[in-house]
Amino acid sequence: MATAPGEPALSVSHLSKSYGVGFLARQRRPALVDLSLEVARGEVFGYLGPNGSGKTTTIKVLMGLVFPDSGDARVLGHALRDPLWRSRVGYLPEHPYFYDYLTPVEYLDYVGRLFGLSRAVRSERSASLLAELGLSEARDVPVRRFSKGMAQRLGLAQALLNDPELVILDEPMSGLDPIGRRLVRDVILGLKRQGRTIFFSTHILPDAETLCDRIALLRDGRLLKAGRLDEILGRDESHQLEILVSGGSLAGLPEPARVGHRMGERSHVFVPEPRLSATIEALARGGARILSVQVVRQSLEDYFMKEMGQDPAPSASWQD
Amino acid sequence: MAGLNRVVAVASNTFRETVRERVLYNLAFFAVLMTASSLLLGQLSIRQDEKIVKDLGLGSMDIFGTLIALFIGVGLISKEIERRSLYPLLAKPLTRSEFLLGKFVGLCFTLFVNIVLMSLGLFAVLLITYHRVDFALLKAIYPIFLGLMLVVAVALFFSSVASSSLLATLWTLAVVVAGRFSDVIRNMRDVANVPHWLATGLYWALPNFRNFDVKNQVVYGDPVSPAALMWMTAYAFTYCAILLGAARLAFASRDLN
Repeated sequence: MATAPGEPALSVSHLSKSYGVGFLARQRRPALVDLSLEVARGEVFGYLGPNGSGKTTTIKVLMGLVFPDSGDARVLGHALRDPLWRSRVGYLPEHPYFYDYLTPVEYLDYVGRLFGLSRAVRSERSASLLAELGLSEARDVPVRRFSKGMAQRLGLAQALLNDPELVILDEPMSGLDPIGRRLVRDVILGLKRQGRTIFFSTHILPDAETLCDRIALLRDGRLLKAGRLDEILGRDESHQLEILVSGGSLAGLPEPARVGHRMGERSHVFVPEPRLSATIEALARGGARILSVQVVRQSLEDYFMKEMGQDPAPSASWQD
Repeated sequence: MAGLNRVVAVASNTFRETVRERVLYNLAFFAVLMTASSLLLGQLSIRQDEKIVKDLGLGSMDIFGTLIALFIGVGLISKEIERRSLYPLLAKPLTRSEFLLGKFVGLCFTLFVNIVLMSLGLFAVLLITYHRVDFALLKAIYPIFLGLMLVVAVALFFSSVASSSLLATLWTLAVVVAGRFSDVIRNMRDVANVPHWLATGLYWALPNFRNFDVKNQVVYGDPVSPAALMWMTAYAFTYCAILLGAARLAFASRDLN
């Protein structure tokens, strides 16, 4: 049963969750606070935030692994407790662990049985996914001999076995080498081309920037911002201009213009858009020759670090 | 029907896990024990050796089975949570109740296979050494299996509610040991400084594993009535159902962190 047109693939409404900490878990530490967001069908949605910001908790709530204190969520138009959506969703947990006594073929066969797939379909899908994810040669090797990257790829295979409409991936790039990351990126882009919805959490920002249609930023369990990347990164205060100049004096530039790297006679001067005219005048006064002016859009990482730097939480960390 | 298929899938994977994790290697110890006892006891005892071999065989089934039920049983859920291996499974159309039931059935099947192979081994030793097989031993073997099912249910319950495998092991061990000495608990009523209500309450609340111990009766040829076997069956199944129901309740609302 397909999701009704216009109906979001995922919708989270005023979700809150806290965990008990301390002696007898009598104190509550909030993990999610009044979180609301929507993920449209067919989009790649990046869920970003430092460790401890609530990304995994959100995904666990969606997957029914933890229960919210309050709020609601719907997956493919169904309430969380409704089992109907589960055969249409794929899920890769963070740091996945699979039964190490099984081979990938046996594990995927087991998962396929849980989905109620026939033996022929299980066999065909498992062979094609293992080939796509570069695990064909390891198909009969026990998982206990797998590297972290291979386990992550098996995790993707089990998440895609049921040909899901919505794929939820918790830190899919975590612990992967550049080749593995490229593979995951290709898988996500392939799913997007097929019209699937992908919701993934990550703290590898360049990957999010490459893949995502929209992102949400989370800190301390609270949603800081959600929207399209160009909306988020393209605001006035985000526009930087880079002026390439040659020769002359760079003294007396108006604040907050700054001089970047120099190469011989040439220098790069960075200035916010509103201060462009004043900066060009100052450069002309100093005898500098202006070679080019171009917009420098800040990267997601720049933006994110700025957002995090405004009021950094003690628990916030970008380190694994 | 789909739910039943998922239970069978979990059960067969649990059985496969126990086989791959070499749980059935205990059969090798059993084989050595049976062979050694049949060879040695004939020389050491007079006319009692057959009874001793039977006693040893049944006792080994009970002890080995209890150890497997206890130590594998407590890991059925808690190990899955600690390793997070159940996360991807519970995101699929598999309910927590189906997962619990599948785990229970899978380990019970392992114990069933174990006890069948041990029984065949015991019968083979008796046939080779004494040229006869005493099928009345099945009247002791069947209750042993019922008792093992109950140990699995106790272990599964604590595995579902305890926050770690260690705690689950300690609780299960305590209940199984106490349940094997339930007559001692009952007699505590007569000890002055133990409250009567406490001893009586514990006696009735704890699973009474002595109900399933008819080894001596069978070995010494005393009858075990069909009614007694039916009562044991009803007791085991009722107690297992209660424990699985409680485990389901606890597990259904548990956050998997």
